[in-house]
Amino acid sequence: MPEITLQHVTKRFGRFVAVDDLSLVIDNNAFITLLGPSGCGKTTTLRMIAGLEVPTEGRILIGDRVVFDADRGINLSPDKRDVGFLFQNYALWPHMTVWQNIAFGLENLKWDKARIRKRVTELLEMLRIEDFEKRYPSELSGGQQQRVAIARTLAPNPQVLFMDEPLSNLDAKLRTEMRTELKRLHRDTDSTFVYVTHDQLEAMTLSTRVCIMEDGHLRQYAPPLEMYSRPASLFVAGFMGNPPMNFLEAESDGQVLTFAGIRARFLPREGTVRTGKLVLGIRPEAVMITDHGPEARVWSTLPSGMETTVRLRLGDQTLTSVVFGNLDYAPDTLVRLQFGSPALLFDREQEGAKICEGSLEIL
Amino acid sequence: MRKLFSCLLVLCLLSVSCLALAEVKDDVEAAAALTHDELVEKAMAESGTLVVAGNTSRIANAAEDFAALYNITVESTNLKDQEIYEKLQSDVIDMVMIQDGANLLAYINKGVLLNYVPASVKDLVKENDQTPALVHQYINKLFIYNNLGDSVPAIRNVWELTDPAMKGRVIFKNPESEKVNMNFLVMLTSPQWCEKLEAAYEAWKGEKADLGDYENIGYKWIAEFLENVTFGKSDTTIAEEVSQETAGGTLGLFVLSKLRSSSVLTDNLTVAQYDASEKGYVLEPFAGFMYPMYSMVSANARRPYTAMLFIEYLMTQEGFAPWGKSIGAYASNTSIPEKEGDLPLSVWKDTLVMEDPVYISENRNDVEDFVQDHLN
Amino acid sequence: MPSNASPGNRLVRTGGRIRAWLSTPANLILLLFLILLLVLTLYPLITMLLEMFTVHIGREESLTGLNAGEMTLYHFQRLFATAKNNYSRNQFWTPLLNTMAVSVTSSLIAILFGGTVAFLVTRTDMKYKKFVSSVFVFPYIMPSWTLALFWETFFKNVNIGLKTSNGIMASVFGVYAPEWFVYGFFPIALVLGLHYAPFAYILIGGILRNMDANLEEAATILKTRRFRILFRITLPIVRPAMLSTFLLVFASSMSAYSVPVFLGSPVRYYVLSTKMKALMDGTKGQAYIMVGVMILFGAAILLLNQKVTGSRKQFTTVTGKSGQISRIRLGRANRPLALILVILLILVAVVPLFTFALESVIVKAGDYSLSNMTLDFWIGQNLQERLDQGDSTGILLNPKVWSALGFSLGLAAVCALVAGTSGILVGYGVARRRGTRMSNWVNALSFFPYLMPSLAFGAIYLSMSSRIPWLGGFLLLALTGSVKYLPFASRSGVNAMLQLSGEIEEAAVITGVPWYKRMARIIFPIQRSTFLSGYLLPLVSCMRELSLFVLIVPTSNTILTTMLMQYSEKGWAQFGNAINLLIILVVLIINFTVNKLTGASIDKGVGG
Repeated sequence: MPEITLQHVTKRFGRFVAVDDLSLVIDNNAFITLLGPSGCGKTTTLRMIAGLEVPTEGRILIGDRVVFDADRGINLSPDKRDVGFLFQNYALWPHMTVWQNIAFGLENLKWDKARIRKRVTELLEMLRIEDFEKRYPSELSGGQQQRVAIARTLAPNPQVLFMDEPLSNLDAKLRTEMRTELKRLHRDTDSTFVYVTHDQLEAMTLSTRVCIMEDGHLRQYAPPLEMYSRPASLFVAGFMGNPPMNFLEAESDGQVLTFAGIRARFLPREGTVRTGKLVLGIRPEAVMITDHGPEARVWSTLPSGMETTVRLRLGDQTLTSVVFGNLDYAPDTLVRLQFGSPALLFDREQEGAKICEGSLEIL
Repeated sequence: MRKLFSCLLVLCLLSVSCLALAEVKDDVEAAAALTHDELVEKAMAESGTLVVAGNTSRIANAAEDFAALYNITVESTNLKDQEIYEKLQSDVIDMVMIQDGANLLAYINKGVLLNYVPASVKDLVKENDQTPALVHQYINKLFIYNNLGDSVPAIRNVWELTDPAMKGRVIFKNPESEKVNMNFLVMLTSPQWCEKLEAAYEAWKGEKADLGDYENIGYKWIAEFLENVTFGKSDTTIAEEVSQETAGGTLGLFVLSKLRSSSVLTDNLTVAQYDASEKGYVLEPFAGFMYPMYSMVSANARRPYTAMLFIEYLMTQEGFAPWGKSIGAYASNTSIPEKEGDLPLSVWKDTLVMEDPVYISENRNDVEDFVQDHLN
Repeated sequence: MPSNASPGNRLVRTGGRIRAWLSTPANLILLLFLILLLVLTLYPLITMLLEMFTVHIGREESLTGLNAGEMTLYHFQRLFATAKNNYSRNQFWTPLLNTMAVSVTSSLIAILFGGTVAFLVTRTDMKYKKFVSSVFVFPYIMPSWTLALFWETFFKNVNIGLKTSNGIMASVFGVYAPEWFVYGFFPIALVLGLHYAPFAYILIGGILRNMDANLEEAATILKTRRFRILFRITLPIVRPAMLSTFLLVFASSMSAYSVPVFLGSPVRYYVLSTKMKALMDGTKGQAYIMVGVMILFGAAILLLNQKVTGSRKQFTTVTGKSGQISRIRLGRANRPLALILVILLILVAVVPLFTFALESVIVKAGDYSLSNMTLDFWIGQNLQERLDQGDSTGILLNPKVWSALGFSLGLAAVCALVAGTSGILVGYGVARRRGTRMSNWVNALSFFPYLMPSLAFGAIYLSMSSRIPWLGGFLLLALTGSVKYLPFASRSGVNAMLQLSGEIEEAAVITGVPWYKRMARIIFPIQRSTFLSGYLLPLVSCMRELSLFVLIVPTSNTILTTMLMQYSEKGWAQFGNAINLLIILVVLIINFTVNKLTGASIDKGVGG
């Protein structure tokens, strides 16, 4: 199982820079997610690794094999990179049956008939679509089409599997189901997965490492939970987590922060607090409703059974709190708040970079 | 290397084609003295297909008969003059049958087409039908009117056609679409025809014509004639339309041979000159016009002798047969009589406006510009 | 990082880039076609350009006082700025205005008529749809002059035009149509509009058929009124198709020759194409300037068209996910509307066929009694003795007709094969590299032959062939036809490819399926019907083409259309009508057979 290395990869479409000087190492056997809003360059990155798109600059290695090198004019075609690709719209061939769709690639690899038969049967079973082998894609539901697409991708036993938003066309229930199956599949196939999505929950739940991108730049590359609790920037912090992190405009004098009419001492665990305008970030679950502390007004309450999301007005700012269990405040109820950790400080003047991590002590 | 090679190739081809042009010219000149048998012998020594093009559909029949006679292959196309010239300049053609002598002169001067008069018919063709190009036959377009109803335009003087009462009742082909029609109009501005038109005007109105701004009386007639004309799209349509039961009162100026078409109701038509000959009066000053169809050898001919043999063949009774079987075509070979029921060429030459290529090519610019302004 | 690149390094790099670039089939195809099309379309274009400045043998020599072959600006000055005898006005400016009026009007008629029918067929529950959609393309299959001829013979009367005979309307129904209705601007624009309405039907219908009904449904839910939906949602979506129609019809109408001659000459209504043809005889330089002007107009619209359809949003992938198209219920208006349409279509598409059939069996024109009818012109023998005219046998017994039919079919088949296949390749390259300059160039160049008048195009190819010894005969005819009809094929090729998401092909790329196999096993089968239409349109057009081939055919009996022309030249109207009917029937049979066998039909072409 190989490791994938991207070195200073850049892709330009005319004057538009889709991916800008991206360097990245994808560990062997990892489940990597490329995450970001649409147009951030994540699909382009994926397609460049797969060989479907030719980078403008840089070098790509799969294992110790150079598959692309702009300087040396190396560009291996996709089929020589030993990869599989699962497309967003499945890209099933409408004029072929399920069986033919899966077998076509194998026939092309000159597998003998018996071996093809064995492999296709195996995949049909594995993905539980044995009953549909004679059907055409148009006669299948979305979920079934998805499974066929996966089967087709897995058929030649690729060492690396690329997936481009493969679940975006499914309904919520199927999506959850397929997520667990994909995770299982990752274990069973013992290969490297590179997965593109704009859904942070998918990234959180599936991957071993998340690569978050914005405007063609790599913003942070870390395991999902680390990224959640220690985001590198405002952008990453805002993208990971649902409901998203609370951002409060704060004024700092180096030790004490003033925000929404509250004064609080910032106790840094890492980094130093500078003076001036900063952004204070607190996860919703760190905003605790208690019986002491500053007063806030309930704007609305959204109980969902297991947890409750409470929207609060604190001074002139709005923030979200997530409370475990079932609560229901009447609007305009007055409550008191405590802030847990971590509390993060971001500096807009440094492109929203995180400058400090610690906790708050309300004065 | 390759470039050099292709350059050489082009050079070779060019010189070969120049040589060929010169050769054909020499051949044609040399052939003037050849007897029929000698010509046949030389023609049979050539190989390949004989390619001919003509502004007459019947060239196909003649070509077929000729091919059968000498057991060779002949390809024939029926094209308009302009298309023939187009093809001549970009394709191999051996001989052409073409009209519009004025335009033809320019091509003869440029050496694109060569004149050949077979020795065997030299004495049978009038001298002025031998230069600058051999006339194969004459074709006439005549005033022919519908003889039904009570307003039969049995004209006796062409000035009647300029009468406002004739507006919309005269049908003619647009002179821009076929140049022989234009040539006819150009001829009318010549001193010779102006004189006759003046006399005819006096005979018609009893007074001298008031020319106004017109340069001469030919222009006056053209302008007033065109004022009354409706344009038909082809001679065939004009013949068909004028012959309709419902077409009483109309008159057309079109090719006499169109009367052969089964779709033309010949009984309803009267040829003005036939009527005049029968009743013994004279159409003042003309009964229509006449133009030659020429036969010429192409300077880029691959089978020049066969082309000349074909021209010789066309000049014979047999070769003329495809045209001679109906009225309206007159061989320049004086030994071939007109079709029964038609008038002889000599009569037509006296009563029709004959095309004079030299006059036309010298004077057409002004007249054509004048004419186009009266087509709107 | 690039700072340490030495010159040698850079060379390796460039070499590698080129190699990588060429390893993509789409790039290779585009490069190949760019070169081919540059030769095959720019050569004629440059030749035409040169002709505008050249003195030609004949009248031009005496007009300019120069020798043939010399260069001059005289033609421009004469055509554009000669006041004497109103020359410029008569020969150029008025015809130009008329051409613009006719072309714009016919385009509008085509869009309105074709678009309405397309809407009725795709979005409503109108009755007789099947009949309507299969008959609607008939007028396009027939040569355009047949409709003009039909219009004239149907409406002519003794009060107008040649004032010589009554058509069916006057003689049977006693209705005497006014002159403006039968001759001149109105009928020319109308006939051309009707003839090219199938373009609108095909293009607009294609979009309407594939259009996501959600778009309209969303508006319905917002309680938008029906006609507001039509104007604010539906029309903007089909606008690119309407513009494409406009381009095609405008360019075709502009170069149409027979229709304005048939319906314009009796009332002295001239357009550029009729004047151009007249000027060709003796004043070729000016004629080519006119050709240039027509090409300029066409190119301008082409550019506009590319601006509009080239922008990204027009090609948002059609997912077809919604599937259920809500059809507008016409209710009580259904049957009357359907009937009117059916009658109209029968009039413009079926009746002309019967007219030709009728005209091919009567002996004396205008006499439709049974005693005047005969099948001799089809199957008679010894006609020359009996009728003293025409060929000796009816056309079906004439071996020349059969060999011409065979040649025509063979030629059409080869042209269709070459043009159709090239169209698919061009479509593939253009769609895959969409947005790149090369793709835009190839796309535009492949459309260029459409803008060049057929006769001039044929003439230039003939002269080109004279410099290439092995190019002649069938090969030359096939080349000319293939290039001239490439636009149809490339249109349907591009459209078919744009409808196909790239992933479909990439899914095969990943497993290493070679390019030719992807084309043959995946891309072609999926878009089979649209691709096949790209073969069918050139086939149909080729079968009924005259002016393109008239100079190139070795003999007038080589193909059916020149044979037809020769017959009508000789005044053998019945033979001519019979051959014309034969051509139309053969084309209809081909279209029908292909349709039955493969599901492709002309109406699936061009559009999508």
